[in-house]
Amino acid sequence: MRRSTSRRPWLAEGPWAWLAAGGVALSLLMVIALLVLLAGRGLAHFWPQDIEAVTLEDGAQFAGQVVREQGLPGEVDGRERLYRTGNRDLQGAQWRWVDVADIDTRATPEDLVIVERRRWGPFIGRVVALEGPETRWTVEDGDTLWQQLDERLNRVSQLRSERDVVRTQYLEPLAERLANGEKVADDEDELQALKARIVNLQEAMQRDRVVLESLEGQQLTLTLDALIDVTRPNAMSLPAKLSSWGHNVWRFLSEGPRDANTAGGIWPAIFGTIMMVLLMSVLVMPFGVLAAIYLNEIAPQGRLTRLVRIGVRNLAGVPSIVYGVFGLGVFVYGIGGTLDSLFFADELPSPTFGTGGLLWASLTLALLTLPVVIVATEEGLARIPDAQREGALALGATRSEALRRVVLPMAVPAMLTGLILAVARAAGEVAPLMLVGVTKLASQVPVDGTFPFIHLERKFMHLGYHIFDAGFHGGDVESAMPLVYATALLLVLVILVLNLTAIFLRHTIRTRHRVRTH
Amino acid sequence: MLMADASPTPATLHEIVRDIPSTDRCFEIEDLTIAYGDKTALSGLSLHVPRHRVTAFIGPSGCGKSTLLRAFNRLHDLNEDVARQGRIVLEGQEIHAPEVDVADLRRRVGMVFQTPNPFPMSIYENVAFGLRLQAALPKRRRDEVIEWALESAALWDEVKHRLHESALLLSGGQQQRLVIARTLAVQPEVVLLDEPASALDPISTLKIEELIRNLKSHLTLVLVTHNMQQAARVSDYTAFLEEGELIEYGATDTVFTNPRLARTENYITGRTD
Amino acid sequence: MIDRYPPPAPVRRRFRDLRDRLFTLLVGACGIGVILAVLAIGVFLFVEVVPLFGGDTPASETQATTEIDFESLWLPQQYPDYETPRYRWQANVLSEDDTPMFSLTPLAWGTLKAAAYALLFAIPLALGAAIHSACFMSRRLRHRLKPALELMEALPGVVIGFVAGLVLAPYVERHLVGALALVLILPLGLLVAGVVHSCLPATLARALSLSRAGLWLIPWLALLVALAMVMSPYLEVVWFGGDMRAWLEQQLGLDYAMRNAMIVGLAMGFAIIPTIYALAEEALSGVPDSLSEGAQALGASRWQTLWNVILPAASPGIFSAVMIGAGRAVGETMIVLMATGNTALMTLSPLDGMRSMAANIAIELPEAAAGGTHYRVLLLCAFLLFVFTFCVNTLAEIVRGRLSHRYRRLGGLA
Ligand SMILES: Nc1ncnc2c1ncn2[C@@H]1O[C@H](COP(=O)(O)OP(=O)(O)O)[C@@H](O)[C@H]1O
Ligand SMILES: [Mg+2]
Repeated sequence: MRRSTSRRPWLAEGPWAWLAAGGVALSLLMVIALLVLLAGRGLAHFWPQDIEAVTLEDGAQFAGQVVREQGLPGEVDGRERLYRTGNRDLQGAQWRWVDVADIDTRATPEDLVIVERRRWGPFIGRVVALEGPETRWTVEDGDTLWQQLDERLNRVSQLRSERDVVRTQYLEPLAERLANGEKVADDEDELQALKARIVNLQEAMQRDRVVLESLEGQQLTLTLDALIDVTRPNAMSLPAKLSSWGHNVWRFLSEGPRDANTAGGIWPAIFGTIMMVLLMSVLVMPFGVLAAIYLNEIAPQGRLTRLVRIGVRNLAGVPSIVYGVFGLGVFVYGIGGTLDSLFFADELPSPTFGTGGLLWASLTLALLTLPVVIVATEEGLARIPDAQREGALALGATRSEALRRVVLPMAVPAMLTGLILAVARAAGEVAPLMLVGVTKLASQVPVDGTFPFIHLERKFMHLGYHIFDAGFHGGDVESAMPLVYATALLLVLVILVLNLTAIFLRHTIRTRHRVRTH
Repeated sequence: MLMADASPTPATLHEIVRDIPSTDRCFEIEDLTIAYGDKTALSGLSLHVPRHRVTAFIGPSGCGKSTLLRAFNRLHDLNEDVARQGRIVLEGQEIHAPEVDVADLRRRVGMVFQTPNPFPMSIYENVAFGLRLQAALPKRRRDEVIEWALESAALWDEVKHRLHESALLLSGGQQQRLVIARTLAVQPEVVLLDEPASALDPISTLKIEELIRNLKSHLTLVLVTHNMQQAARVSDYTAFLEEGELIEYGATDTVFTNPRLARTENYITGRTD
Repeated sequence: MIDRYPPPAPVRRRFRDLRDRLFTLLVGACGIGVILAVLAIGVFLFVEVVPLFGGDTPASETQATTEIDFESLWLPQQYPDYETPRYRWQANVLSEDDTPMFSLTPLAWGTLKAAAYALLFAIPLALGAAIHSACFMSRRLRHRLKPALELMEALPGVVIGFVAGLVLAPYVERHLVGALALVLILPLGLLVAGVVHSCLPATLARALSLSRAGLWLIPWLALLVALAMVMSPYLEVVWFGGDMRAWLEQQLGLDYAMRNAMIVGLAMGFAIIPTIYALAEEALSGVPDSLSEGAQALGASRWQTLWNVILPAASPGIFSAVMIGAGRAVGETMIVLMATGNTALMTLSPLDGMRSMAANIAIELPEAAAGGTHYRVLLLCAFLLFVFTFCVNTLAEIVRGRLSHRYRRLGGLA
């Protein structure tokens, strides 16, 4: 129905058609906006951002990184800007709102540093001097100072890892043996020697000191072991910034959280999520597939089976929190409580299995995702033509042989699709976990070197819960935000990749069968 | 040529049955009734299938040919809705007797379906499938049997260099011959063919027909077909079914050149009344 | 060729029959077991809830026992600190002699209010999108759009809740006028786009065709949103004397909570759009072509066809899509938890927060003593959620089943 321009009436398809089109556009716009927001904020956090030295109209000075700018409430053109000024120990706060109109000058001098510290959050200001046991370097020494600082920071981190090795591999096992009463003659002496060694190492770590000064003029002397990293973003070239960005991303993925989840990395949460999802997959796959085989291949296809099928399908729509309640009531209090009173009676009243933990969380999520796996597998089985089954039977196969050798191999991609969808759902599900075993800060990951290596009863950290907790329960939401963004981005990426894989797999099964070669 | 339509009496049917000496009967069917739920597909059908001959079933769509064929190897067992009455005897043994092993019965009575249904595996694996279900053979023995089966199905020369390619890459005619080879590999005594060539091109159809003629020296073949020429070309006996009843059964020559009943003649010559 | 040599008949493997039976038995037992375990959820909740209403409530040591019956759960109660009977939910008592107050009405209210606002936002968008992609989009584009919206469905609630609660809520608070103005600006902008489109020269109009409007409208809408946000402070000065929240309070007596029903509606609406979209689209594009072609042959425009023929035919499917969306909204936990203040208010105002049953369970159940009254009341909430969603889904499933039956008949007639 093409018409010429002149005769086309206004709104040729009627106004509603355009509003309907707006539905698609607005939905897509929201998805795009969400992803862009997460990606932008999540990734920007790791970028070494310039530090501004700000002079106000009244002559006061401070240094900080610009966080954002917004209109002043109730005014049309007034704007205010949020700076991250660090120095919580010196100033009492590390955020500062400044009215843009009050700012006189902004500069980015190259000597400004941001120092990540083990306590008190970052320091922003200048390095005055580096003090070794004999020598002292000051800003006048130029690059030598920075080289020395780098070298000495490296030395400290080497000493630290040496100390950690001594502690975890020698001292702790020995102490445990002694506590258990397995005494050997010179064990006591060895223990003392190890302790002395650790003290020595710690002293060595504190050998060098750095003198820092904030722009407000306060001085601060720190031993190098209190520092994590010293960067001068204003002096960095673009490649240096890029490499620093990569380094920061890696640290985020590989380190544990610090400062009440407002700094550091999320490795324990990644690990906990992976462990839980793996365990869940191991639990859900066999049972889901068996149930699907039963429903589709073995059960008489009568009214009852049809009802059960609808029931199972509908369970996919039951809120996840209800599964969490079930997990808490049946797994944790029911089975866990019973296990405790049977096998861990000497630990009571402190519960072992009678409280949330990795196993119960995985079981609960397995139950939650069971309908997903059953439905996907059943769909796969139903799509296999009966001709294949009859072909196998006509060659003298029994029903189980036809199933195992012909039907199931053909249904593998469908099962995989189900598994991936289940994993994607489980990875993003938080509500039930809050009832059955997730925790804000796990002192121990559920896998370690002591028997039985996988500790199913331990609580664990989880990416999704980390987002909730850091964003809503932390004291300093402003400093947690970048990490929450980054965590959310990671979670979304993982889930998107899983879903894309499932979509791709489903697409390929629809178009071709699996070919097995001899 | 319109003949007075005399409905067939039991006497005439038994006459046909008696044509086949009891020692030459492969299948004996007596008073077989099969219903899907409350829809009767076959009613009180009796006939004997001669050994080492090709027997063709013809008749309009929906008259129960496939239903009858699937009764021969108990494929109906899978469908709970199917009710059956009557006896089917294979080589003197009632096939529904409790001591009969269905899987082995189905190995002895192979079946080829209308649309080729190779498994999504390699050509080799397709033919080896039935063998692998039985006691393990040494690989050399198995390779021999597979070569024999493919040769017997007139497929060996076309696939001998690509045995490990997917069977789904073969053409329709080749796939159907592969299915026949797969069936032959487990040494069946009977092969049931349900419109085996209806989805194929004329050349492939001719190949299949030649195959059927060659196979009958070793096997009993039962063929369902819609193609009258095909039935006339390959079969020794022809049964004409209509609405679940056996209308006429006899030597193919007789049925085609001198049918006893007008209904048969009308069907064969394509007349409708 | 068959005469070359017939190989010997194969030797039967032993115990095949037995193995088959064993396998079938095993799979059957496991399958039934798994299915029973899954269906046991409802039974468990029911069994745990029953003691609440039995005459002898088991007394728990840690908590004052409260009489629980239908009345105390659902009707206003006389509490010591208030003059008139009220609905109150306050499970955690601060001092020894306080009694906990278990009124489920505010929680049910919060649940339904959150769901209602979510549906209010999601239904027009999702149905619009479904109609557009089923009736106006090219098949290819539709197949591209589907995975995009499937991905949208997979976004975890905790992420949406975080963005809603920590980013969107403060932002909307600061740009309230602009955000509210969007309700008018966006539809008007779409109509403007339509008018402009009909004035475009033919070549450009074909490049920016209606069938691709879902894509090229995105930048236009983004521009409108940005404009509204920029304009927000000016509008606020012009219309509301510079402070809309003060104006709301004075003129309408409305409080503004930063995390309110509007935010929840937006966030949860976002989460359920893909669900409703997918099912509605399926229903719409499942309408047999013969129907719509018939109407178009009679000279109806595409929109008339849609309105008079396709929508009525697909209405059961659309109904079930909305039902399933509602089921999801009622049970969604994290979004409500993060995007509302979780105070158990009973108002209709879009600017107030609420506390939903699901969020309430997530907050309180870990602390409730197992077996106590509080615990059981929370389980009752879970049971209600279960029953509600299960029934809603079953109803939707039945309606959908009817629908596909009807399509088959219509398709068969054609
Ligand atoms: N699985 C089934 N369920 C119900 N009815 C069937 C089924 N298979 C066949 N029928 C019915 O049984 C009758 C005979 O079918 P069939 O043996 O397939 O006919 P033919 O092969 O001669 O065309 C037909 O009327 C058909 O509708
Ligand atoms: Mg047939």
